[in-house]
Amino acid sequence: MSITDQVLSALLVYGLPVLFGVILVCSVGIPFPISLMLVAAGSFVEQGEMKLWQVITVASVAAILGDHLAYGLSRWGGRRVINRLSRRIGVEQNIKQAEALTKRWGGSGIFLSRWLITALGPWVNVASGIAVYPWRRFVVWDVFGEVLWVVLYVGIGYVFSNRVQAIGEILGNLTWVMVGLIVTAILGWQLVKYVRVNEHVG
Amino acid sequence: MKRFGLQQWLVVLAFVLVVSFTGIFALRAVRRAVYWHRHQDETIRPWMSLGYIARSYGVPPWVLYQALGLPPKAGGPDRRPIREIAREQHRSVEEVIGILQDAIVHARPPYPPPGPPPHLEREPTQGRSP
Repeated sequence: MSITDQVLSALLVYGLPVLFGVILVCSVGIPFPISLMLVAAGSFVEQGEMKLWQVITVASVAAILGDHLAYGLSRWGGRRVINRLSRRIGVEQNIKQAEALTKRWGGSGIFLSRWLITALGPWVNVASGIAVYPWRRFVVWDVFGEVLWVVLYVGIGYVFSNRVQAIGEILGNLTWVMVGLIVTAILGWQLVKYVRVNEHVG
Repeated sequence: MKRFGLQQWLVVLAFVLVVSFTGIFALRAVRRAVYWHRHQDETIRPWMSLGYIARSYGVPPWVLYQALGLPPKAGGPDRRPIREIAREQHRSVEEVIGILQDAIVHARPPYPPPGPPPHLEREPTQGRSP
């Protein structure tokens, strides 16, 4: 039996504690079928088996708490480990660039990775912690993004309450399409830049 | 123009890989959406409750309860996922899904509509019917 079946069965039987626990561990970076679970929760709300305000509150609190755990661990615990590791494998420069990027694009990066490009969420948490992104700004973007994510996915589940499996799978795939499109754009831009510079030189 | 060095070729390779990765997931999403559009029914999964399956397939829930030999619950609908029901009845989940699919087929056209639940026939509700 797949992990999806187990998680959704547990959600149906035990309700909110499962919702809380699964979202918490997902925010820290353990992969679970989280979009499907939120859509399922929306469907259970529509069927009268869960309460809307409870689902939204519990899911948002769990997500925000999980993000802060990852951010806090990376900021206060991970720094030394990452520094030592990056020096040993010679990627110090890359880490510095990532930090600079996070400082510059941090806000929108945090916000978008909460609800649109959810697959990147755990990485952005860690990057923000390592880059010592200001905590107050992190909280604001995080809260806005996570609440939007929860309301959006639960809302989709509520509207398509009898098509949970299909919608969850489509959303799960689309998240990775978003990640792919962004990386494609970055790599494509690098290639275009290289070709342009060399045209000018040559 | 200068030729591509090793680093540029690596970027090209990464670009191709990422485009393929994106394409595969886009294709899966589209395929799922098309499947959904053509077949309105969800595939029955072990996590689903009888209420959810009945709703998704547009059949009265009692048809599914009856097919599995379950009595109608006094305290509201049975919220258990079918994997729990299967465990309780010492059946495999696949077997339970098979029974449900069979019951669903017989509760839909061209078969006649299943009508009201049997226990309601004995105790009709008062003053509600038009």
